[in-house]
Parts: sequence; structure tokens; C-alpha cells
Amino acid sequence: MTASFKYGVSLYSYTDDFGTIMGLEEGFDAVAGTGATGIEILGEAHVKGYPEPSSQWLDTWFRLLDQYQLEPTNMCSWVDTRLHLERNLTVEEGAGELERDLTLAHRLGFKFLRPKFGVVTSDLDPDPIWEGAVERVLDLAHKLDIVICPEIHAPTPISHRVTQNYIQFIERTGTKNFALLIDFGIFQDRPLPFWPQETPEMREFDTAFLNGIKVNPEELLDIIQYVAFIQAKFHHINDDLEDEHIPLPKVISALKRAGYSGYLSSEYEGVRDPWVAIDQVRRQQLLMRKLEKDFDEGRLA
Amino acid sequence: MLLEQAPIQSTGFRNYGPVDAREGFEIRIRTPNYRGFRISLLDGVDVAVDGERFGYENNLFALNGQTFSLEELRAASDVRWELGDPATIIVPRPGGLEPGIHQVYVGCRVRYPYFPPKLQPHTMPWNRLLTIVLP
Repeated sequence: MTASFKYGVSLYSYTDDFGTIMGLEEGFDAVAGTGATGIEILGEAHVKGYPEPSSQWLDTWFRLLDQYQLEPTNMCSWVDTRLHLERNLTVEEGAGELERDLTLAHRLGFKFLRPKFGVVTSDLDPDPIWEGAVERVLDLAHKLDIVICPEIHAPTPISHRVTQNYIQFIERTGTKNFALLIDFGIFQDRPLPFWPQETPEMREFDTAFLNGIKVNPEELLDIIQYVAFIQAKFHHINDDLEDEHIPLPKVISALKRAGYSGYLSSEYEGVRDPWVAIDQVRRQQLLMRKLEKDFDEGRLA
Repeated sequence: MLLEQAPIQSTGFRNYGPVDAREGFEIRIRTPNYRGFRISLLDGVDVAVDGERFGYENNLFALNGQTFSLEELRAASDVRWELGDPATIIVPRPGGLEPGIHQVYVGCRVRYPYFPPKLQPHTMPWNRLLTIVLP
């Protein structure tokens, strides 16, 4: 018997529903209704009054966690390196952004924090302040028992200097409070439909990665010791319960063989028409559980 | 308050200024992002109505009772636009707009720090038919 996954859902899945047809409580209801045990949020989207929510909001947050029996998993945050038009943030300011979000994540009960750093190249190299900024808050993260997880997200694959630099940082510092977050989008092997406003010219150049960067899921086995959290990104599960873009059987098989026992947190990023996301997430939760069972019972190699 | 899903809201499209001497019009919008953000990341908002263009340099941005010029927006690195809060774009146009159905374009010029440098600022083009009820 191999290790078992934990199942979670990110409220990001309900983008455009949230705040229009869905409030916080409806979000909790949708997540818990999938059978998930974990809830992931975006701090600066789902926390009213971010980064200093009112005591009333905090009461609601803890009441909902209790009522729906969900544990906070990962909180997403941003280090807005281009906050100012005329200059980028300094290392100190970057550390300040991380400190702000570590503190909030801890208050809300989260165990993982995903900061998204601004980038400085077309290849999406993070602003070089990331390293100094993270190093300055490692002690705080340790004290608060939070793992800071930069996300490995398309168009950045596993075999890339950005990912390798994060791994080198983990090796150099020996920290347990910095680890990789893998986004399933890197495994996408079929093109996404065009987004609204997206043109064929854009797809050829700026958004070419939306055709899929096709990372081989077997690469997970080489880096799994550095992986703390997984965002199970997906775009459409059809009526025959097939993911039309992510090769889920291969990904689930690789994760099982790698012995991953952390969260798979659903992250729907598809058509944003009202009321679509809730069932899409349910379909993906069903599919991932089915594939895990297939592996455990020898039907998936 | 729950907002309409369309980023340009139907409610809030109206003329402003004295009734017999309108000074311009207003458009209510949601955040051009899936998260809240500090408004120094918003480098102005372009507007067009029935093909008539109103450049981002002259339009004003109002949030929670506070109004910002482009220069003030650029300095407002401590003001957060929350996901659930509507904002208002204030467009000076003597006389305002005629009551009726108008083709409205809104382009929020946003710096998304995690997008490549060449895409800064990035504009999501929004178009919608909107109705002005009162002169």
C-alpha cells in the first residue's frame, strides 16, 4: 500500500463566481461538498480587509472551518515587485511583503504560503530580490510553522534554471520552510481553447505556452523530495469524465510511485461563465480519486 | 454587495454634474484581476464611448469615496482595491452623454508584476452596451 493523497480545493477555482454569485460561505459549501478536507485561498482575494481582516471576519472564518470541517492548506500571495512605476521593490521591501503574508497565513491557520514574485525577463526569471527576501523571513516561517512554496508553473518547466535555483536554495540553506509547489499545468499536453480576447497571433508568440509545455510527469520522481504542495490545475473535464488537457493518469501514477502524500488542491481555470466551476471541480475530484484507487488496486501502472 | 459578473457594470453608468450643465459621465467597474491589489499598479484607465476616445491621462478613478488623478494613482501604493469593491471611472465631457444605449469600451492599464516586462502595463479590453437613463 502506497501513501495516500489528501484532497483540497482552491477558491481560485470559483474566480468570477466569487463576489458575484458566491460569497465566502457558498465557497466553503462548494469545497466541502466535494469531500475535500483542505481549503486553499488567495489572501488578497478571499480575505475581506486583507491584510488586516476585522475580528468579525475572523470569527466567520473560524466558524466556517469548523462547520464545514475543512483545514486551511495553502494561502497564495504576491510580491508585487513593480508596485512603483519608477523602480522595483528592494530586498527589504520584498521581505516585508512576505512577512505580512506569513503573519496573516498563520493567523488563519495555513501551513503553506505561495508567494508569486514579479519577473524580470520574458523567460519569467523571478526578480533577483526573491532570494534575499526569502532568506530574511526563513526564521519567521520556521517559528510560524509555514512552508514558503514558489510555484513551478507553465511556461517554466522542471528542467529550468528557475526551478533549479529554488532547489539550490533549499540545499544551500538546509531549510525545511521553503519547498516547491507544482502546478499541474506544466504537464498539459493538448492546446487550450483561445481565451476571450486571445488572437492566433498572440498564441503564436506571447501565449504559446497555452498549447502545453508538456513536461514529462516522470520528472516528478527526480524532485519529489523538494515538493511540499500541489495545485491540481485543470481547464475542462468532459461529460465522459476525461480531462481534455492534462494527462492525469500519467501524473497520478508518477505521484503515487514517487510516494507523494501531500495535498492535491483543485484549481479550475476554464470557462468563467457563472455556475460552471462548481461542477467542474466535483468532476476533477472524482477523477483524481478514481485514478488513485485504480493505482492502488493495480489497474493503473 | 454582490456585483454583476461582467467587469463593466450596468449600474453606475450615468452623467455627473449639475442637471442642466453636466460635466461628464461615470462608469462602474469590477477589479481587472482575480485578486485585489494596490492601485499604484493601475496606470490609468482608457475609455471610449461610441468610438469617441477618452485617454487614461485625463480620466479619474474613484474608490470608496476617494478620487484619484493619474498622478495620484501612481503614488497610491498604500491604497488597496478589494476584489468585492466596485470602482468608478470619472470621464470629463462637458454636457455628459445623451440618454440612450451606448457602446462602451474600458481598458484598465495594469502592471501585473509576474507577467513578462514587455507586457507592462497590460490592458484587458472590455466592451459592453450600456444604458444612460437620465440626461
